[in-house]
Amino acid sequence: MTIRTIRPNRGQHYRPRMHCIKKLEAYMVEMQDPKSGLKGTEQKLNVTTIPHVITGQDIIAWLLNKMKVTKEEAEAYGTMLVAYGYIYPLQNHRKLVMCNDGSLYRFQTPYFWPTEKWVAEDCDYAIYLAKRNIRKKGVLEPFEQEHYTHLHTWLNHKWDFIVMQATEQYKAGKDRKKPDRVVLDCQERAYWIVNRPPRRTHSALDYGTDRLIDPTIEEKISFDQHRRMNIFYQQAIMRSKVKSSVSLGALVKFVNTYKSHDPFLAPCLPSNPWVTDNDTYWTLNIRRVDQCTKMRVERWSFSFFELLSDQRGRDDFKSFLKKEFSGENLAFWEAAEELKWGSASAIATKAAVIFKTFLAPGAPRWINIDGRTMGLTVKGLDHPHRYVLDGAQTHVFLLMKKDTFFRYLKSPVYKEMQNRALNPEPHNFSEAQLEQNSRNRSLGVHPITVWQQEEEERAKAAIASAPVDVKAMMSKIDRK
Amino acid sequence: MGKDECKTMLDALNKVTACYRHLVIALGSTSDSQNLREELRKTRRKAQELAAANRTKLTALLKDKTISKDDRAEYERLWVLFSSNMDLLEVDMKRSLEIGQDFPLKLPTRHLIATGMTGSTTTVAARAMSVQNMKYEADSNVDTADLRELRTEITQVSQMMEEMEMKVQVAPWAVEAKQEPGAELKSNMSVGNSSVGVISICEEEPKEDEGGEREAGSGSFCAILIFMVILFVAGVLGYLVVSMS
Repeated sequence: MTIRTIRPNRGQHYRPRMHCIKKLEAYMVEMQDPKSGLKGTEQKLNVTTIPHVITGQDIIAWLLNKMKVTKEEAEAYGTMLVAYGYIYPLQNHRKLVMCNDGSLYRFQTPYFWPTEKWVAEDCDYAIYLAKRNIRKKGVLEPFEQEHYTHLHTWLNHKWDFIVMQATEQYKAGKDRKKPDRVVLDCQERAYWIVNRPPRRTHSALDYGTDRLIDPTIEEKISFDQHRRMNIFYQQAIMRSKVKSSVSLGALVKFVNTYKSHDPFLAPCLPSNPWVTDNDTYWTLNIRRVDQCTKMRVERWSFSFFELLSDQRGRDDFKSFLKKEFSGENLAFWEAAEELKWGSASAIATKAAVIFKTFLAPGAPRWINIDGRTMGLTVKGLDHPHRYVLDGAQTHVFLLMKKDTFFRYLKSPVYKEMQNRALNPEPHNFSEAQLEQNSRNRSLGVHPITVWQQEEEERAKAAIASAPVDVKAMMSKIDRK
Repeated sequence: MGKDECKTMLDALNKVTACYRHLVIALGSTSDSQNLREELRKTRRKAQELAAANRTKLTALLKDKTISKDDRAEYERLWVLFSSNMDLLEVDMKRSLEIGQDFPLKLPTRHLIATGMTGSTTTVAARAMSVQNMKYEADSNVDTADLRELRTEITQVSQMMEEMEMKVQVAPWAVEAKQEPGAELKSNMSVGNSSVGVISICEEEPKEDEGGEREAGSGSFCAILIFMVILFVAGVLGYLVVSMS
């Protein structure tokens, strides 16, 4: 039972606009024309013959003739018709594509056509699964079984109704003639494969989450909104703009640098976990790994920002700086980041610690920034806020970028990293292995474990960066 | 008792809803015809009568404050069954209106979709009306006339649903199901011993179906054969008796 009050739909079930539906329906009706439409043949199933079966190549030939397009476009259009559920394949019912050969298809009845208004309800799906359970005598496919158990928990209050309705529909179906029963089964199964697709079936109705606003209502913009829009656009016109040749040049440079690293454009080594359900890629790229992948190391050389954003790169850079005895810049930068992103209550204490360690004259890890920035920062630290160290942080970042970064790239540390980097082999999974992978998906590392590791690293860094006690050092040397 | 009456009426409503859905699925396809539209109209009328009867009975039972807690839980469960049935019926009626408007039978330019279903739906309609054979008495314009009535009937049903919700305070999510998962398998045991066996879908499981079919045919064939043999033996014996005497 749906809760139905006087107010209409509360906006949680707005589906994206499917403008193509009316046009597709027009084509479907044209295909039925006895004179200029498609001619169906019969399908023989041992004893029964079922009419109105068409081959894929007939459909594509008809589309080529009707729409006067290229063969690829006609094939794509045919696949779209199958993916939306207007035509369903008889062999290999899980793969919703239109093959340009003798494979057989049949038209779907208008009740099961996709509509924008009527969404395929869970209750109906539960009734269908119950009917299928009866027919298959308890042996459902694994994805169907998952849905069945899930719906039994969520639709428990309606479960009696679902069972009653399923048995009644099954009994009513038995009264019909044999070929009709087969067709009815095929139709319903095709409808539910399109609306609740199993893994790795690409259905066109798989659109993600529903929208929060009704896309079909007309929006009225008020006078005040128009006024504010005008002010915004006037100010935008008056801003200084970059020449398009310059910005396009920058875009081209960016694309050329990153195109081999983009998982959409280049194959992700060893394999994209979202596609193959195998998470080797993620385990190879965590922070505490000994050997990095070649792609990762290459990425560090693109810009200093990349090096610092990757935690593993930052650790490597830190070990390089320790050898050069110039680690205070990076330590200051990290402390400033912590201040920026940390909690508001800790700002005052952190600011005091940072001043004592880095900025005070004669501090143990004094950073070398110019006088003006130093003056402004120290004055700002009287009333510390989140971005009080921004100026100093930028200055330090630029220092590191212009000087230390290039030395790092030429250093033996980095070169050794590059030599040791491994290049993983691309995976080549068969269909059966992909099925296996999707069943063996693990939960991965728990966030608490990751957080604990981060805490340990931070503690180690704190100990390592503690100011060197000169007296203790001197006494140790003396004792020796 | 009130509960048993309710249950039988709900079963009837359930049956009619299931049959109505079968009929609506056939709309717009090649098995569509004036007969189908008439069957739809008749089934709909029957469904509405049953719905009205159920509603009065259930509202009377639920408004009664003197019933025990178990009884109330049972009535709430029946109420959820009733309202789910009505939801399904309302959606099916609205869809049949849309599809009926999109596929008028008289227009030659609007072709029906060749879905492969060519048989008639008389048996389903007969099941819904609980009669042996369906009688068709309407004239040939039933599809357009029907649509106008359908609109009014849909508004009636929606109004009835809203009234029901206002009058009766039932929390549908609080009802617990009496059936466990897989209950439909047990309930079907008595019906499942029919001779046809498992239906084949498309080209994937033709073998089981073939065995079932042959069994049915051979079973009746054997029976006829035995009958003939017995008749023959009886004839021979009779002849001997006559010849002996």
